Amino acid sequence: MSTIVEKLRQYSKPGYYDKFDYHWTMTIDLDRCTGCEACVVACQAENNLPIVGEERFAENREIKWIRIERYWEGEYPDIKMGFIPMLCQQCDDAPCETACPVYATYHNQDGLNTQIYNRCIGTRTCAVYCPYEVRYFNWFTYTWDEPLEQQLNPDVTVREKGVMEKCTFCIQRIRIAKDNAKDDNRRRVRDGEVVPACVQSCPTEALVFGNSNDPEAKVSKMMKSPRGYKVLEELHTTPSIVYLTKVQS
Amino acid sequence: MSISVLDALRPAKKPALLGLVVVVGLFVGAWVHGKYFSDRSPIQPIEFSHRIHATDNEIPCQHCHIYADRTPVAGVPSVSKCMGCHNSVPSVRESPEILKLATYWENREPIPWIKVYDVPDYVHFTHKRHIKAGLACQECHGPVETMDRITRVASMRMPWCVDCHTERNVEHGRDCWTCHK
Repeated sequence: MSTIVEKLRQYSKPGYYDKFDYHWTMTIDLDRCTGCEACVVACQAENNLPIVGEERFAENREIKWIRIERYWEGEYPDIKMGFIPMLCQQCDDAPCETACPVYATYHNQDGLNTQIYNRCIGTRTCAVYCPYEVRYFNWFTYTWDEPLEQQLNPDVTVREKGVMEKCTFCIQRIRIAKDNAKDDNRRRVRDGEVVPACVQSCPTEALVFGNSNDPEAKVSKMMKSPRGYKVLEELHTTPSIVYLTKVQS
Repeated sequence: MSISVLDALRPAKKPALLGLVVVVGLFVGAWVHGKYFSDRSPIQPIEFSHRIHATDNEIPCQHCHIYADRTPVAGVPSVSKCMGCHNSVPSVRESPEILKLATYWENREPIPWIKVYDVPDYVHFTHKRHIKAGLACQECHGPVETMDRITRVASMRMPWCVDCHTERNVEHGRDCWTCHK
């Protein structure tokens, strides 16, 4: 009996990809976030996110892989406004992955919670299971008016109706960096070589991205900050994103 | 006294025959379509022969498909690339196919080649990685150097890719996001 329990524990251990080269992680410093939404715009441009229009927006059918959530702290007049960028947390124990009937979402060896668009049949179960509400469903096939279709990113699929989508940590950029590393006969990509669109566009450098399997990476050092916390940690989703809480004076 | 079922089956004779004809017709149709109407070997705007170029004149693949070892796409040579050689090959200058080429050149138009090997938009495929892994062009494209008109030899479907990745033990070769985007 005890061996079975041990085995179970072994299999349910998050971070099972320790033996692999990467565990992509992000830290978000809320003290630095000004809520400018540059990341939202950058993500929109990089990942071919559709512009759904006013009507659909009112129906809560907008697609934003990263969004800024605004919240208030305290009571008037002693009130403070805070921002928290919310994107897919790339959970190690992702609830969405257990839910997919066709295995269209799964965890890959880089610690990414991935979504295969052409495998997705659109049951939307994953979106129901996601406690962070960061999965988005294509209720329609969206089109880009001329000449906007010219700015579509060729490295990212244009999703169509009936497909769930979510933040990929800009996997196309990870792929390019790995490709370059292979050309240079390097085993791993260097720290700072992969920069997702949101991280690249952040004017205050609130977002830091990197491989937490590498103890020398900037992100690994940031994660050790005493300000660090994970959103909805009590649900044991073990997210890959560490938020650094605001410094209270 | 024996009772035959044939009497009961007689009314079904006509529909059964009709059904048989339809089934046979479907098989014949599929064969004819595959043989004569498939996109495996389309008729190109110019009767370009890889056999003449690659075997008879021993031009290596990457002399024309120059991006194969550098970028995701192998690259179809530009008209100027063709003319670069053909301007100085007087022996075939008057042949009808070369005259077609010259027309495109004079009209400053690209040749509307028909793509034979294509993957869907949700697939990330890069020639560079495959060439750098030491694969010969022929392993996927077949004996192109013997073909007068290009014929697709591979299915270009996912099992075909995955089989090869499995056989060669490609690192993370069966991770969905290695090839899907």
